[in-house]
Amino acid sequence: MMNQLLQNSYFQQLKMDSHLKYTDEDLIERFQNGDEQAYVELVNRYRDRLMNFVYRFTNDSEQSEDIVQDTLIKLYTHKHYYKKIAKFSTWIYTIAANYAKTELRKKKNRKTTNLSQMSSEEKDYDLPAVQPDTDKAIENEYLEKRIQAAINTLPLHFKTVIILRDIQELSYDEISNIAEVPLGTVKSRINRARIQLQKELKDIKKEKNY
Amino acid sequence: MDRYKFEDSISSYLENEMNLKERQEFENYMDENPEAKSLLENVRNNIHLIKEMSQVNTSPDFINKLFNRIEYEKNRPLKKIIEKPSNTFFGFSPLYASLMSVLVVSFVSIGLTMWSDNIPSTISLPELKGSIVDSSPGSPSNINLMNNQDLVATNVDSSIDSTINKSKNLNLDGKVKFVKNKR
Repeated sequence: MMNQLLQNSYFQQLKMDSHLKYTDEDLIERFQNGDEQAYVELVNRYRDRLMNFVYRFTNDSEQSEDIVQDTLIKLYTHKHYYKKIAKFSTWIYTIAANYAKTELRKKKNRKTTNLSQMSSEEKDYDLPAVQPDTDKAIENEYLEKRIQAAINTLPLHFKTVIILRDIQELSYDEISNIAEVPLGTVKSRINRARIQLQKELKDIKKEKNY
Repeated sequence: MDRYKFEDSISSYLENEMNLKERQEFENYMDENPEAKSLLENVRNNIHLIKEMSQVNTSPDFINKLFNRIEYEKNRPLKKIIEKPSNTFFGFSPLYASLMSVLVVSFVSIGLTMWSDNIPSTISLPELKGSIVDSSPGSPSNINLMNNQDLVATNVDSSIDSTINKSKNLNLDGKVKFVKNKR
């Protein structure tokens, strides 16, 4: 069924156009009632958003793609778990965030083990050795790596809220639901995460000559 | 406003969540402290830089992989339960069956032993010969005494020491003498 839909790209495009008028909540409702094309549309709407979100957690494209796939498969297999009391985006981000956090914890444990097995000389690791260049593309790449490295230094609860707020641009209410913490805690964490990031990135201002 | 309050309020200021009075106070602090103003500008620039980061997208074959995985999930065979009826006793494996038998036998034998230990204490009360009398109300020995018709009769007068009354009805063989008996 799914492959047939995929192979018939013309049909898929037509159906997708007709789905443009539907909200996410309408689509999941249709999917819950058996319309698999609504699932295809939800996948098309969310795959890149989720990928960008998860990548900021893991900093690993391949792993991020696996997590996004797991999230979208869970959407397929557990579609009836969604209740219309919450926004669909909140629900799907919560699933992705939980998968990402789990993977990150596993990765951290592996890293701790590996570092403990290394000699002290091997433990000296630095940020990616990309130097600023006159070329704009290289400069941007360098800058992004610096920012990503700074985000990676944040504790997990800070990282979650800062990605959701400053990268995904979700509202405080949505972040509160996804992170499952009160609104005041979300605001406080975002503020503290921004200040911590500022400490990590204070020399960027000099490099960029803001 | 102090440094800590200023830092706590940076996001509220940047996201326009302050009332007029708070905003005025915040800006006054910045005017008096240039490093605070610099901190605010840095935070603002960082937010801008983070928002400007390039979008990371899924690979072109993402959809194919996803739908293949969904097909696999849909057609995945359920795990079959393998039964081994020849080697079970009432549904237990030989090891568990023997352990269960030992447990049951132990439980029954311990229970019987405890029960048989309790029987003499209920019927051999006269053999106590008055040496030890538990006078606490509701104790098993007291209940047994109360069942004895003779003792019930003596207990009618509560002013008389019940211990002495009991001793009169017990066969003490002259081995135990009560203080009041000397009178």
